[in-house]
Amino acid sequence: MEIIVYGVINSVILSLMALGFTLVYSIARMPNFAHGALYITTGYLAWLFMNSFMSLPYPVAVVLAIGITAAIGALIYRFVMIRIRGMEISEIIATYAIGLAILEGLRWGGLRGMTFTLPPFIAGSTTILGVSVDYQRLVIVGIGLATFAALYLFTHFNRVGLALRGIAQDERAAMMLGIDSDMTAIISLALGSGLAGLAAILLLPLGNIIVEVGYNVLIFAIAVSVIGGLGSWAGTILASFIIGFAQILTEAFLSSHYQMVVALLAIIITLLIKPSGIFGKQKELEERV
Amino acid sequence: MFEAREMMVFYENMIALNNVSIDVPDGKIIGIFGSNSAGKSTLMYVLSGIILDIKKKEEMRGGERISVYGKLTLDGEDVSSLKPHLRAKKGIVLCPERRRIFPESTVMENLKIGSYLSDKERTKDNLEYVLNLFPRLKDHLKRQGGFLSGGEQQMLAIGRALMANPKVLLLDEPLMGLSPAYMDIVIGGTKEIRDTKGITIIITEQYARPVIPIIDNGYILENGSTVLSGTGAELLDNPDVKSAYFGV
Repeated sequence: MEIIVYGVINSVILSLMALGFTLVYSIARMPNFAHGALYITTGYLAWLFMNSFMSLPYPVAVVLAIGITAAIGALIYRFVMIRIRGMEISEIIATYAIGLAILEGLRWGGLRGMTFTLPPFIAGSTTILGVSVDYQRLVIVGIGLATFAALYLFTHFNRVGLALRGIAQDERAAMMLGIDSDMTAIISLALGSGLAGLAAILLLPLGNIIVEVGYNVLIFAIAVSVIGGLGSWAGTILASFIIGFAQILTEAFLSSHYQMVVALLAIIITLLIKPSGIFGKQKELEERV
Repeated sequence: MFEAREMMVFYENMIALNNVSIDVPDGKIIGIFGSNSAGKSTLMYVLSGIILDIKKKEEMRGGERISVYGKLTLDGEDVSSLKPHLRAKKGIVLCPERRRIFPESTVMENLKIGSYLSDKERTKDNLEYVLNLFPRLKDHLKRQGGFLSGGEQQMLAIGRALMANPKVLLLDEPLMGLSPAYMDIVIGGTKEIRDTKGITIIITEQYARPVIPIIDNGYILENGSTVLSGTGAELLDNPDVKSAYFGV
């Protein structure tokens, strides 16, 4: 029972981590390796707003932190990525460099040790199906599912959301209909960074705000995206559940040190068996044309 | 009035369009005919501005050097340097070669993406218009675009372009790979768009015979230059043209 409950929770956590990465890749075809850095940035900003110079109330600090992270994402596109769009290797190098700069900059700026924590939404715990679960994890599952639903509605019924999907499927065809490719890329990076921020606000209360978490989040996000098929929504969620349960199972029967090994092994196995991922269309679509 | 003056395009040192000038009076259908590699698609890229995007991407990755010269005006306003999405805003909408509909979106979503520039009211009117024009699309509204047949995809592509409120609609090889029955539907639809909405249409095609009856004016492209222009009847009368493009 414990495995099922915590498996579900862990899976939702993983998909929250990966959602922003997938969104940016699926729309702008850009692997955002600064994802983990943006995640930590949001946590650190929220902590800063609450504790140091302003001591803002929790909701204000959180919204402000997510907003600023989204703006950082938009600026990254506007001033850096716009020049190298479409060259995958350069995109990876540039975003990874930005991520490194942010993370190591934070470490240099004093983000060290265990003193940085965010409070949970609601403290305390309850029992579900005979398993004790703290409220924060339930909030994570609830908001996670709400985020999936909101994203689905946005990309299927909203004018801008539909335009994003148009650009994702055929950039030039969408351009001919009056959709601005750079604008959609800015929106997607802002949204993706905002989602990274949302994940940070939800997940960081479970642990500490430390720089290493930024790297781990990036690795998990990449693992989930690669296994699900880069840029595929359904794939991301399915892959989160596969890895999520695999991690909980190894934790239950082996030891919790193997969590990262599971994610990386899953990448290797996927690349060996089906390089484009479970729902990946990279290769297949090209062949059909 | 949509005018192209002395358009020249080079891919590296190869000339793709050589001094092509085209006049497109409002509410007319203009045909552009030529064999493969005559420059039809390049001309469409130039008119819709896609060439600027291709050029930018090639420059960024240090690929082919593309040079574009010439002047494009829409109702007296110079649009030569406008990006494709801004040209679409001005009313120049391209319905591209090979249709390029969004394969993973449903027919309805394809049309909605097309109406990105329209407000709610226009979208509703346009949707009704498109579904009346191509009633066959009504049966497939919930189907993914990629699963439609070639003819249905072409109808969808034209419908999607119409949703963007074009003043000048560019149709690049709309008959490619269609059965004669679908050719009739597409050609009939094209004429109806002009007749009912007054939209100016430029249509390119390799095989001119089915298109000739509906055009007001036509140009023949060969190796990037216009070798002949005139009304449909005039083109039909020219013996060289007859054998080369009409299969007579």
